[in-house]
Amino acid sequence: MSALTLYQIVALILLCAGLFGLTQRRSLVGMLICVELMLNGAGLSIVAAAQLTDFSAILGQLGTLFVMGLAAAEATLVLAIVVVVARRFGSAKTSDITTLKE
Amino acid sequence: MEVLAKIAFSVYTLIILGGCVVAVSSSSLVRALVGLITTLIGVAGMYLLLATPFMAFMQLLIYVGAVSVLIFFAVMLTRAEQGGDEAGSAPMKTYVFGLAATIAPAAILGWLVLTRPVASVAVPVEVTIKQLGGGLLGSYFLPFELISVILMVAMSGAVLLTWEKRGKK
Repeated sequence: MSALTLYQIVALILLCAGLFGLTQRRSLVGMLICVELMLNGAGLSIVAAAQLTDFSAILGQLGTLFVMGLAAAEATLVLAIVVVVARRFGSAKTSDITTLKE
Repeated sequence: MEVLAKIAFSVYTLIILGGCVVAVSSSSLVRALVGLITTLIGVAGMYLLLATPFMAFMQLLIYVGAVSVLIFFAVMLTRAEQGGDEAGSAPMKTYVFGLAATIAPAAILGWLVLTRPVASVAVPVEVTIKQLGGGLLGSYFLPFELISVILMVAMSGAVLLTWEKRGKK
């Protein structure tokens, strides 16, 4: 098994853990934690693919840097949204803020 | 050296796995956050193994330093409940559907990765920070500018969303 395959499998594990957690979590903050796991898997996969093949290493690393920047922006916005939701509904649990089906 | 690299890889994989399990299954959000930080540090170790020390440094600086603190603030500001936000068991249906939603992409991607192996370079070449900076100010100038605009918009959007007028309430 080549080194690249091993790194891709670790990235796949991160993606799956994030995906499973996203469906299980019952609070918005827990879901945010799982999204960060998935984004990390993506970053690791990109850097491994760029470093271990003949592909341009600069492009791979810069791509992961942009993913990190987007993750930071996303975390900021999600924090603001969670604060607004918690202020309005009194909690940040997903079951409390489902109002459409009532 | 080859053996040492393999040992380091397994140690980092174990750190990542342990962190993932805690981050996904812990009933207390603060413990889940600690699991997330453990995973992030394991991924930083993976970056070091891939001969990208700058990425490892950025991982520690941005994720462990900034994003984790943001999530901690989110935990603090949402009045975490007694006994953890995730206390109490979910219905069985959720587990089954969640597993199905996880296994489907995992099977497809795992099959692709395992049946189509790409020959990998034995020793990755380290890219200097100078070359990265040259790339940022050369070919990839537009995304570099765009991401600064996105960060600016996200920051001002967050302030605008949580703004409370004085004297209200």
